[in-house]
Amino acid sequence: MHILSSCYLFKGLSKSQLLCLSATTKEIQIQKSELLMKEGQQAEELFILKEGAVELLTQVEDGFELPIAMLRNPGECTGTSSLVAPYVYNLNSRCAADSKLLVINKTALKKLMLEDHELGCIVMKNLAQHLLDRLKETRQELKIHFKTIFRSTQS
Amino acid sequence: MFICVQKGKGRAIMKQEIEIHLKRHGDITIFDIQGDVTVFSEPFFNNAYTNANVEGMSKILLKFYENAYINSGGIAVLIQLLAETKKNQQQISIAGLSPHFQKIFNMVGISKFAKIYNTVEEAINDM
Repeated sequence: MHILSSCYLFKGLSKSQLLCLSATTKEIQIQKSELLMKEGQQAEELFILKEGAVELLTQVEDGFELPIAMLRNPGECTGTSSLVAPYVYNLNSRCAADSKLLVINKTALKKLMLEDHELGCIVMKNLAQHLLDRLKETRQELKIHFKTIFRSTQS
Repeated sequence: MFICVQKGKGRAIMKQEIEIHLKRHGDITIFDIQGDVTVFSEPFFNNAYTNANVEGMSKILLKFYENAYINSGGIAVLIQLLAETKKNQQQISIAGLSPHFQKIFNMVGISKFAKIYNTVEEAINDM
């Protein structure tokens, strides 16, 4: 339950809500280099890191993946596409070390969110905040690229 | 010689701290980079570069550690730095990257603008 409570998606949930949630989770072990989820694949599960490390990447070309993030802290998660239509993973996730993860099935979580609207509202609010932060980060990245282009045209 | 430290904490998806220590080795200014490089590292690289320029520098070595993580935003920050050094006719090299990032730096073309070495010693001997 400690891992779940440290996941940003579940911040603000009560102890009883976390208990309900933990009843829907299962633990898996994945070896280094193994692919956890593939970009473009149907998103059925949410993964929460318990031990190890998972790298998030996006496919640019065949044989070239751009690094997006490294999850190293317990409670960090990937697979949030399983919470939003069209339920398709938009990143590759690969274990950078032998890892243990908690898995929450999309359907089980959706059922829990429908049964407990407060839980559903908290999870979606946390997700929206996270996506907003990611949007700001991506905009900042674009700005850096355009700054580089602009400065090179000025010299 | 220790010159300055830039330290900061990022937000959003990667919340790692970054520290950039500036050191001098002969005519080479070493950016000793500890931590992950993301878009949030931009002001720290800019400040470090400005401070190092005040001291006057013609050769720069970016020293990374094996466990360093550099995401797409961090790559954008490094490309920006490389463009500045090119504009100012400074020589820049990179050392200490893991094979994973050496491969990525080759793919995004960074290695065309900065020579990549396995170790700091190799870089210093060659620069």
